[in-house]
Amino acid sequence: MTFALFLAACGSNNSAGGGQDNPAETAGSANTSSSGGDSAAGDKLTIAVVPKLVGIPYFNASEAGAVKAGEELGVNVIYTGPTQADAAQQVKVIEDLISKQVDAIAVAPNDAAALTPVLKKAKDAGILVMDWDTHADRSVVELSVNQIDNQMFGEHIIDRLVEHMGDSGEYAIVTGGLSASNLNTWIDFGQSYAKEKYPNLKLVTERIPSDEKQQVAYQKTLEILKAYPDLKGIAAYSTVAPLGAAQAVQEKGLQNTVAVVGTALPTDSGPFLEDGSLDVAVLWDPAKLGYLTVYLAKELLEGRAVTDGMDVPNVGKITVASDGITVVMGPPSDFTKDNYKDFDF
Amino acid sequence: MKWLNTKEGGIFLILIALSAVLAVRSPVFLTMENMIDMLKTNVVLAMMAIGMTLVIVIGGIDVSVGAMTALVSVLIGKWMVAFGYDLSVVLLMSVAGGAVLGAINGWLISKIRVHAIVVTLGTLSIYSGIAMYVTGGIWINNLPQAFIDFGRQNLFGIPMSGGTLAIPIQVLFLVLVAAATGYMLKHLRIGRMIYAVGGNPLSAERAGIRQDRVQLFVYTYMGFLSGLAAFVHTSIYRQVDPSAFTGFELQVIAAVVLGGANILGGSGSVTGTLLGVALLAVISNGLTLTHVPSFWHKVIIGLFIVTAVSFDIIQRKRRERRLAKIDVLQ
Repeated sequence: MTFALFLAACGSNNSAGGGQDNPAETAGSANTSSSGGDSAAGDKLTIAVVPKLVGIPYFNASEAGAVKAGEELGVNVIYTGPTQADAAQQVKVIEDLISKQVDAIAVAPNDAAALTPVLKKAKDAGILVMDWDTHADRSVVELSVNQIDNQMFGEHIIDRLVEHMGDSGEYAIVTGGLSASNLNTWIDFGQSYAKEKYPNLKLVTERIPSDEKQQVAYQKTLEILKAYPDLKGIAAYSTVAPLGAAQAVQEKGLQNTVAVVGTALPTDSGPFLEDGSLDVAVLWDPAKLGYLTVYLAKELLEGRAVTDGMDVPNVGKITVASDGITVVMGPPSDFTKDNYKDFDF
Repeated sequence: MKWLNTKEGGIFLILIALSAVLAVRSPVFLTMENMIDMLKTNVVLAMMAIGMTLVIVIGGIDVSVGAMTALVSVLIGKWMVAFGYDLSVVLLMSVAGGAVLGAINGWLISKIRVHAIVVTLGTLSIYSGIAMYVTGGIWINNLPQAFIDFGRQNLFGIPMSGGTLAIPIQVLFLVLVAAATGYMLKHLRIGRMIYAVGGNPLSAERAGIRQDRVQLFVYTYMGFLSGLAAFVHTSIYRQVDPSAFTGFELQVIAAVVLGGANILGGSGSVTGTLLGVALLAVISNGLTLTHVPSFWHKVIIGLFIVTAVSFDIIQRKRRERRLAKIDVLQ
């Protein structure tokens, strides 16, 4: 899970519309946005949300969600983070927030262990400490906001695959890397689910690694399409692999013969979703995640408990694990030909 | 068949033997379609390996090739999104940009006399760092349609049973690069100087060859080819991933070494390197086609590299021993 976002963040893309105007500018400046009026520092709650880095589409989307929550819920939201995915810079950002005496800090750590001391310091200063998107040290956080449940996510991908290839036939798995633990978790959950629920699905070979590179996924997919001529579906994991797999299917004109389902970002997937070479991209919506983080911080600060099955406006029903700390936002989002343009990450 | 006794001939025989085995085990291996796919997915590797051959022949190394290619693809990607596509402008920008990056390597190595691996490790980090900074790690897409169309062109179609088979335009770049570099190494003064410097720097200097100039030329040429590779790569994948070439330098070097170049300098050829690339491509392709589980692929490729190189060195030592004996008798 720690890796999940990082992959998403790295593979993320400029938005179809205005995103092309020099991302270097946004990436280069320490980008801080706040909402709810700075003057009201008195009795209004101030919630700080710290991403891994600012200026990339994924975290811009979550920023929009967090700011929206601030406006709707009447709290100050400070969304600030390092300009690179760097733990040391993130520590500095959090130190600044401590001296500003914010009420809550929610952080997506670049390196969980490196942040533990500064998060302890924040806790000692009476600040509510949470993590979001990626786990921090369990002992210092009061709430951990997760985008998805790994098992649900793994099973969801298989369900989508079956929806597009049918519940019998040969399929293959292309993954980012054989040692990427988050990807392996999703694949493993998906595999045991597929064996039980869809016994007529046949995995033709071991998962095929693509080194997190589009060109490798493309090359490997060309090969498996020839090696297994009866192939009906490909499940591709990591934000890059589905694009390479879809490109191979596209160039061979097999859009209607071979279904491709994968964990890609909607803007990257556009060209492949359009002609059906990628049938559906499955991920989560970072804007919702930003919104949920601020919402839950406010709940805790105002002394209300976060409970399993509670209904969060704009997000839906959330689940809370039995440890009382781990919150899961809900089912993953499907990006298809019809809706991918609505997202800008 | 004298050629078969040369180093290149040996690699060629291995390639043929391997292909024969694969053809028996997989009916699709020898199809034209598979050959073209293999060619298309390896042109970038082949172009960069040709440049690396020169670097290795002069006894150098360049681990910044992947970073140079990544940076140039980011440069042309940004340019095209901002200013649109014009073949000559973008092509010129690719090769000039690459040549400048290569010249920086060459200058540091030849004039400041820092060891090549130190220089290029440094520039690897700098070039890929800049590519990351400029993009923020984000892919560049929305490349102009005209450029995408250019990348989809085919040179000519070969009529086949079940439709025509077309040669992708990217192959043309490889053919030109291979022919030009091969000619240069064999027939031009600079080519002979490259072998002289690599074979024995001292004698080369005594013969009046300026080692620093040869080095500067070779690293600049490597950059030039990395830039061209960036153009070709982008034309195939139509999106720019700033981290697409992380670790790619190792594949490039492996192909050159597999192609029979001596890592200590002095020998290596374009033909050998092309065979090395072909061998890598065939192994990787063949393993998937013959249903070998992916966990084994890297191990098998590594075994091939180690075996081929050890075999080559053992052969060379044998030859040298024979040579020494003759010397004594005389």
